[in-house]
Amino acid sequence: MLVEFEQIQKAQAGDGTAFNQVVVAYRKRILGTIARLIGRPEDVEDVAQEVFLRLYYSLDQLRTPEVFEPWLYRLTVNASYDYLRKQRRRNESRMSDLSEQQVMMADAVAGGKASNEEQRRKQVKELVESLLGAVSEQDRILLTLKEVEGLSLKELERIYSVNENALKVRLFRARQRVLSAFEAGKKNRTSRSSEERAAESEG
Amino acid sequence: MSYSNEEFRNRELDSLFAQYKSVVPDPEPGTGFMPELWRKIEARQGLILRMKKLTQVFVAAAAAICILFATVLSVPRSATPEARGNYVDVLAEAYPTETLAAHGIIPHEGMEARTK
Repeated sequence: MLVEFEQIQKAQAGDGTAFNQVVVAYRKRILGTIARLIGRPEDVEDVAQEVFLRLYYSLDQLRTPEVFEPWLYRLTVNASYDYLRKQRRRNESRMSDLSEQQVMMADAVAGGKASNEEQRRKQVKELVESLLGAVSEQDRILLTLKEVEGLSLKELERIYSVNENALKVRLFRARQRVLSAFEAGKKNRTSRSSEERAAESEG
Repeated sequence: MSYSNEEFRNRELDSLFAQYKSVVPDPEPGTGFMPELWRKIEARQGLILRMKKLTQVFVAAAAAICILFATVLSVPRSATPEARGNYVDVLAEAYPTETLAAHGIIPHEGMEARTK
């Protein structure tokens, strides 16, 4: 916990200063999680404010300190999901439709061939976001929390209020979908390259 | 997809996910973050208050209408003109024979015979 439970209790009682302290303690972490969940830096603050707004109006429902963080994560997940659902921009960038440039980018990233650090970072960001675009909003969020944020299955269990086995199945399927999209992108590129080579040798 | 290929792809994906966190670090909140958050909280509070007031007004109006209806319905029935007798009697009372004869609806003889 980044704050004492007393602080949360004061905030629950309507103490604005205590609420401010809770927000200040958690906002950077929440901003980071949202940035990686939604992939649009320009909207991160808006979504984070929505999370803390929901926190402010539902704080009185919190009973035990142990559930504060999973509960805050749940609010984050819900706000990010609502945002992603509104945006629906993933449809434009499914991995199965990746451009050749993006697939080459995947190779470069995997092989560590990116020309410089800044470019490599940009490529990783774009590639991962394209890959996560191959799954539903729910699966995107679940995969990001597990694989990128590094949350344990126990933590996810508390956030989602579902049992560990159900989460494992869902994570496995989501990961398989991402892998298939990754594989499909690679295969497309390989077949295009061999066709090009064949055409060159015939020519 | 062969097993080794799948393993390779899995490792590639793990590496990508691991790099993604460092590529997208936790952003620093802007200076306007807290003021904007409080502005939103107060705006929603205002909306909630307005909704509460609107609800109270609606409830008061509904109660007033109910009382009005109850008053109207509880007024004694004797105050309203009541129809007595059957339908034919009411018609006969509303249209006396003289009026019907004057309009030529029934003959005068018939009227005289009736009066006799």
